[in-house]
Amino acid sequence: MTAQVETAAPPAEPHRKPRRIPWWANPRLGLVVLLVLMVTLFSIIRPAFLDTRLTLTPLQSDISVYLVVGLAQLCVLSLGHMNMAVGRMAATSAFTMGLVHHTFDGGLLVSLLAGLLAGALLGAVAGLIISRTGVNSFVVTLAMDFALVGLITILYTSVVDGVAFPTMPAGMAALRFDTFADYCAGDLCGPRIPLVVPFAIAAALLAGLLFRWSRLGREILMAGANLRAAELSGIPTRSRVVQAHALSGFFAALAGFLLAANNGAFSAGLGDSLLLPSFLAPVLGGTLLAGGAVSVLGTVLGAALTQVIYKGLNLLQFQLDQLQLYIGLVLLAALSLDRARHVLAERRGARP
Amino acid sequence: MTLTATSRVAGPGRRLWRTPEFTLGVIAAAGFVALAIATGGNLLSAGTLEAFFRFLAVPIVIGLSQMVVLAVGQMNLAVGALTGFCAMVAAWLMLEAGLPAPIAVLAALTLGLAVGVANGALVVLTRINGFIVTLATMTIIQGLRYGVNGPDTFQGYSEGLRAFGRASILGLPAVFLVAIAVAILVALFFGRTVTGRQLLASGGSPFAARLSGISNDRSLIIAHGLSGLLAGVAAVITVSASGSVNATIGDDLLLPSFAAPIIGGVALAGGMVSVVGTLLAAFLVRLVDVMQAQFGINPRWVDLIIGAVVLGAVLLGTLRQRIRERST
Repeated sequence: MTAQVETAAPPAEPHRKPRRIPWWANPRLGLVVLLVLMVTLFSIIRPAFLDTRLTLTPLQSDISVYLVVGLAQLCVLSLGHMNMAVGRMAATSAFTMGLVHHTFDGGLLVSLLAGLLAGALLGAVAGLIISRTGVNSFVVTLAMDFALVGLITILYTSVVDGVAFPTMPAGMAALRFDTFADYCAGDLCGPRIPLVVPFAIAAALLAGLLFRWSRLGREILMAGANLRAAELSGIPTRSRVVQAHALSGFFAALAGFLLAANNGAFSAGLGDSLLLPSFLAPVLGGTLLAGGAVSVLGTVLGAALTQVIYKGLNLLQFQLDQLQLYIGLVLLAALSLDRARHVLAERRGARP
Repeated sequence: MTLTATSRVAGPGRRLWRTPEFTLGVIAAAGFVALAIATGGNLLSAGTLEAFFRFLAVPIVIGLSQMVVLAVGQMNLAVGALTGFCAMVAAWLMLEAGLPAPIAVLAALTLGLAVGVANGALVVLTRINGFIVTLATMTIIQGLRYGVNGPDTFQGYSEGLRAFGRASILGLPAVFLVAIAVAILVALFFGRTVTGRQLLASGGSPFAARLSGISNDRSLIIAHGLSGLLAGVAAVITVSASGSVNATIGDDLLLPSFAAPIIGGVALAGGMVSVVGTLLAAFLVRLVDVMQAQFGINPRWVDLIIGAVVLGAVLLGTLRQRIRERST
């Protein structure tokens, strides 16, 4: 289903023989085990966890959003960069979608495309500033986040005199409420999967194929692994930086669209809670902050795991703020375990 | 003055007017004068001026708190949440546990220090990137902060502490003087103490630091611990100056905590700090805030302007460096 990308062969250390990591040290496997454990645990404590209509269908919608926003972060993590403005890029793109629908009466497709374009442009601007000036990506996107926070509210106030567009393009309601089970051909109905899921799968496939098979993706990873070596190999690293950031903006825009579909409105506060989850999914999935290696499959699993935990604790009637405590603890535990596995694997590998 | 591990403390090499801090100082002074004229002198009236400095205290301390970890090339995303948590615990100790204010203040500082050291220990033990570790501890602390009193507000605690928050010495608020004292201590720490210099050496080049016999692990733990302690100081200032605290304290501090050191010229890569730059940057951000309040501008413009200022300051810094490289 999803392509998985390991690091491009590190050009920096040719003297060290590449060692295969043992299968049990694969972080993806740990995530699958953890995921199964969590689902089993929650369904034993609360059988309602397996209720399709109540839990599983909304869970899939949530996972879709957080997967796509995780991919947005993954695109720049591949370079060793960060995008602190993912949430605000999502909100700005959602505003563009709403604007195209509200003012120019464009349909669903036109609005979506305009929004995606806006997101990609925002990302490209960030990438341009980073590659031209050499300023740290954290600072540039943080400043951009500041700027967009202000801009979004001003835009909403001046266009609709409120914090959300009053109407949505036709078809958004279907994206929000319908599942494939509502569409039948004769007696044969689809599974109870919400309509937003295919968007997320398409995004994951796109990212996976890009980083696994395309020249562009491989070159971005090379630039992330060792910028100087990539430059000396004739890779135009500056434009790769711009492209990776544009891609990040594109996925952020898609996440904004899916979130707007789930919430039922294009609103100003749309991206407020996207920043932290955007790091959670890829990092849990084994993507490094240092750049040069990404794991799309890991991001899928990371997004699924965090949302399963959220949903499960929610069903157990934990308060939202208590939830954070446990999410943080789980994150730390998962990362430490991952680290311990890695160290063990290296020790085994060191003595063949 | 910008401090790195290799710079001499009072070296004659760099002329004062060529330092980034001098530029920042001129901009800050010009902005202050311009704002004073634009408001028709209203800014200089005793009440406004006092409020200006009173609400400058927390941004200064929180900026320093971030600066200390930036010095070793780390980030601390938990500063805001930790400030809120310490503030809530201090208020809880006074109101629910009935302890006197000095003990509550000490407890808040100790708590900040302990959480900071825990952050540092996690970074050192797990070797996970500090950004991720503090991201995780931030969510944990946010949960704990909420757990102290739920959604309710603490108010009406120690009269003495609140009087301290309102007090002024020679026209300057006491809390602002505390912030300045803290800044001086931090500057002395990095400029004059062996440990401080070691922190800068670790941040500048961990490899070189290790070869010179400096423990990088120790530097990381000290930096995170100090950052936590400063968050505790910010918490005490918040508790005394605001008169009431709830679980949202600190939510709006994370971005300003980065803005002050970055505008002030501190490099994210580590190895250099600038206490004066951080002070002046916090002052500048506060100027923008006051301008918004004085002219009734949509508060959202403030974020836009601060974003532009952060980016502009960084671009200016890069430009200056390039020119200097070209001229040598």
